[in-house]
Parts: sequence; structure tokens; C-alpha cells
Amino acid sequence: MAATFDYRQARELADAFEKRGVRYLFLGKGGAILLGFPDTTQDVDVFPAKTPDNCRALVDALKHLGFSLSSGEEAEVARGKDFVQLRGGPFDVDLVFAPDGIESFEEAARRAQVVAGMRVCHLDDIIRSKEASNRVKDRETLPRLRAFRDWLSRRSSD
Amino acid sequence: MPRRDEPALTEEDPAAEWVRDFEAAARRPLEERMRYAFIHTYKPVLDDARFRAFDTMADYRRWCEESLPGWLGYGRDL
Repeated sequence: MAATFDYRQARELADAFEKRGVRYLFLGKGGAILLGFPDTTQDVDVFPAKTPDNCRALVDALKHLGFSLSSGEEAEVARGKDFVQLRGGPFDVDLVFAPDGIESFEEAARRAQVVAGMRVCHLDDIIRSKEASNRVKDRETLPRLRAFRDWLSRRSSD
Repeated sequence: MPRRDEPALTEEDPAAEWVRDFEAAARRPLEERMRYAFIHTYKPVLDDARFRAFDTMADYRRWCEESLPGWLGYGRDL
């Protein structure tokens, strides 16, 4: 079983991606946690830009981080399949190239926030994505996520 | 039975508890918050392959609905 994702690994991922010019954003509840949302998750979701250059750089960065990919698996990541699930690396990660509820990477990147060097989707995009996915686990999280957004908004206007 | 000068115990608004959580989290450094936020337990089926790729999100959602135990919460219905 892979190790639990922690701060050091998050920074290593961010550094490896930055060095190779990988355009990415943390997404999902993991992204919300980076923005300050107090909750637990088992998922690390990364939203990479789906361009050939970016996908090739992503493969290189993943290998540098210790993900063991066969040539066939490398090709699938490099093609930017909509959803890639990686287990058996230093931590588990899902690559979500076409998240529900988000129009484009460029739009999301314009609204993104940087937290300790890590690029994170805006909370509005995280919420929109969960609303569009509408899975049981999303519906359970959404009321608290919306309350967190309201609290952040009140806090910044005080 | 509360005394007359004591306020009656009432169920707390869950939103008030959430706000206290948000405020407490904001006082903790990111590294500490992450230590308690990211957890890892075995998820049947989902964790049984080291690599999966889906052409479309619709394919992935369909696979989740059809292949994963409902209680994991990855489907639209339990």
C-alpha cells in the first residue's frame, strides 16, 4: 500500500512539475484541504493541462517522483486520457484531464491559487466540479464545502 | 432538568460547529493540517490495480457505478 500523501510529497510533486513546466492544478477535496478546508480525504486529484507537450512533461515528472510506468502506461498518460488512476507509486494519485463541471484548464488556471508553491483550483471550481460529478461522496461534502466558501468570503471582507 | 437560571440545553446549529472548525484550521500550519487530512485505507476494487486509464469521464463514471461497492460513495446512488 502506498504511503499517505503528506506535505513533503505535495511539495516534491509541485517542484517536479514546476521544473519540467507541467501545467497542473490540485483539484477535489484534496485541493480544498490545501486551501484550508478542514476535512479528511483519501484522494489526491491532479488536473493537468491536456496538451501533448504537457502530457509528455507530466510522464517525465511522474517517473522522477517514483511512479513506475510501463511504456504502454506512459503512452496512455501522454495521450491525456480523460482519467488515469495511478497506484503503486510513492502515493496514490488520480490524473483528471477533463474534470466534470470545469470548462477548460485555461479558465481554471486563470482563477487558480498558489499555496506554498502548489497550484490549486479555485474553491468555486472545486465546488462546481463536485456539483457536476454528483456522486454520493460529493453530495455529502458539498454543504460543508459551501459553508467553508461562505466563511472564507466573510473573513476576507472583514 | 436545568435550573431556572441556567439556559436550556439546545442542539447546536451544525454550521456554528463548522465555523469553529474552519477557524481552528486557519490557526494551524499547512503541514500539520495535511498530516491529519490525507488518510489512506484500502478501498476494495479501486486499489486492486496499479494503473487504470479511461478514455472519457463517462467511461470512468460508468466503471465506478458498475464495479465499485456502493458504500465507497463513487457512484451516484448508494
